[in-house]
This record gives sequence, C-alpha cells and structure tokens, in this order.
Amino acid sequence: MSDTPLDPVIHAQARLRVVAALSTLGPGDQIAFPRLQEILGMTAGNLSVHLRKLEDADYVEITKTHRGRTPVTLVALTHRGRGAFEEYTASVRALLQPPDIKEKT
Amino acid sequence: MSESFVDNDQPPGDPAEALRMIEEQRASAVRQIYVDDRWWFWPWGFAWLVGFGLIFLRFGPDGRVFVDLPDWLPTAVLVALIVAAGAISGVTGARAYGHLAGESAKRGAYYGWAWMITFTTMTVILVRISDRLPDDLQIMVWSATMVGLTGALHLAGGAIWLNRQLFTLGAWISVVNVAGVLAGPGWQALIMCIAGGGGMLAFGLFASHWHRRGRRA
Repeated sequence: MSDTPLDPVIHAQARLRVVAALSTLGPGDQIAFPRLQEILGMTAGNLSVHLRKLEDADYVEITKTHRGRTPVTLVALTHRGRGAFEEYTASVRALLQPPDIKEKT
Repeated sequence: MSESFVDNDQPPGDPAEALRMIEEQRASAVRQIYVDDRWWFWPWGFAWLVGFGLIFLRFGPDGRVFVDLPDWLPTAVLVALIVAAGAISGVTGARAYGHLAGESAKRGAYYGWAWMITFTTMTVILVRISDRLPDDLQIMVWSATMVGLTGALHLAGGAIWLNRQLFTLGAWISVVNVAGVLAGPGWQALIMCIAGGGGMLAFGLFASHWHRRGRRA
C-alpha cells in the first residue's frame, strides 16, 4: 500500500474522539471545556493532556475568557484541525474499501 | 469508565474500529449537544391549536357560539400558552447555546432578541389602536399581526441558518395567515388552529427527524 501513514496526532483513541466530537460544532463555534468533558466522559486532567497535544499541532484552539466573573475555557477545532480530521476519515475509509476498487499494481 | 488509568494514547485497533469510533463519538456528541427541534416547535403549535381552537368555539363565524365559554377565557388561554411557549423557547435557547460560544451562539442570541423586540413593538402598537377597532375585528387583527410577525421571523430564521425547512415553515405560516384574514373572523381562528397549530406540530416532528438524520450523515 502506497497510502500515506495516518496522522499520528489524531491516530490515538482519545484524541480521535476529541476531534470527532469537536467536528460536530459549526465552523466558528467553541464549546465550554466542562461540557466537552461531559460529552467525552474523560477526566479533566486526561482531556487537558490531549487538548494540549492537539493545540501543539495547531488542530485545536483554546480560549480562556470570562463570562461575567466566572472564568471559562472554550475549545474549538481550528481550520487546520478540521482539515486533518476530514483527511484522516477519508484515509480510514479508503483503507476499508474492497481491494478491487483500488488501483492494482 | 476510569479512563485516567487507561492508556488511551493507543491507536485504534484497525481502520474499521477507527471509523466506528468516529461515528459513535459524533453521534453521541450530536445527541448531547443539539436539543431536539420539537422543543422549539411543539409548545407554539400546542398554543395555537388549543388557543385558536377555543377562540373558534366561543367566537365562531357570523357571531355563532359553539361552546358558551366566558368571553375572556379563550384569549386568556391563548396568551398564557404563548407566554409559556416563549419561556420554553428561552430555556431551549439556553440549553442549545449556553455551553457554546462563537457564531452559532451569537446568531441564536440575536434571533432571540429579534423575537422579543418585534413582539413588544407590535404589542404596543396594537394596544394603542385596539379600542378603536370594532369588536369582531379585534381578535382577528391581533392574531393576524402576531402570526404575520411569526411567519416573517421564521422566514428570517431560514435565511440566517440557510435552512430551507424553516423558511418553508415561515412561508406556510404567512400563507395560512393571509387565508385566515381573507376568510374573516371566526373562520380565521379555525384555520389558525388546524393549519397553523397543526402545521407547526407536524413540522416539529419532521424537523426533529431531518435534523437527526442530517447531522449524523
């Protein structure tokens, strides 16, 4: 198979789930950290670690702000992150296609 | 799930598992993030169905009285149900956008304010002129103005979210409203009850179905 290797940043169970969940938001939308945590069923510590890795790859943008006086952490998929997720999904789909559809060498 | 103790840095077992994880996680996120469309449409549909139904029974065409309810009751019920529907929409909006920030949340908030501002405006205008209207026209003018506004706001909602179904609902409400006005007092309430309220209930059911199917695809 000459396929490019799967994106190592997303090709990890926890981060794949994070990115998949974030991909359901509209472009330009951010979600509050605790809500994302609830959706994924991860601990805050665990989620933070994975978000940091995604942020380092510029796949996720984390904004710290205030709502009234309460500090809020907002998470969003970046344009680049969305592209990477779409590419990953497409590659995985391609790997699952029956061999006869693929070009024969 | 004590995931903190699981090494979830592991890659998915194989492509099939990866795809299954993606689909499951997206479906679960959609289920948890997006509120069911029925919460938007059913309270309003119910309010119109019951409220206009009672108006028709008490103030039927050509002054007929099908059920001898107290004069004040039908409109009081309609107004109370509409206020309740408005409150439910407010709570639904908070549930839908409370944990989100960004474009969708702004659209939702502006749209909510648009409803409040325009309804307040119309109420002030109608209160000012209502006493000068003949009795049989009062209910009709109030209903037709508010329903017309509802139709216009749904049309605008369709434009904001590029949602054809919402736009169609706005057009439907507008057509039903005009039909009611042309039919005249009494009939208008019946048309609004069945085509307006019933239409809104049916739409809520379909919208919820389309939404779930569309988001998951």
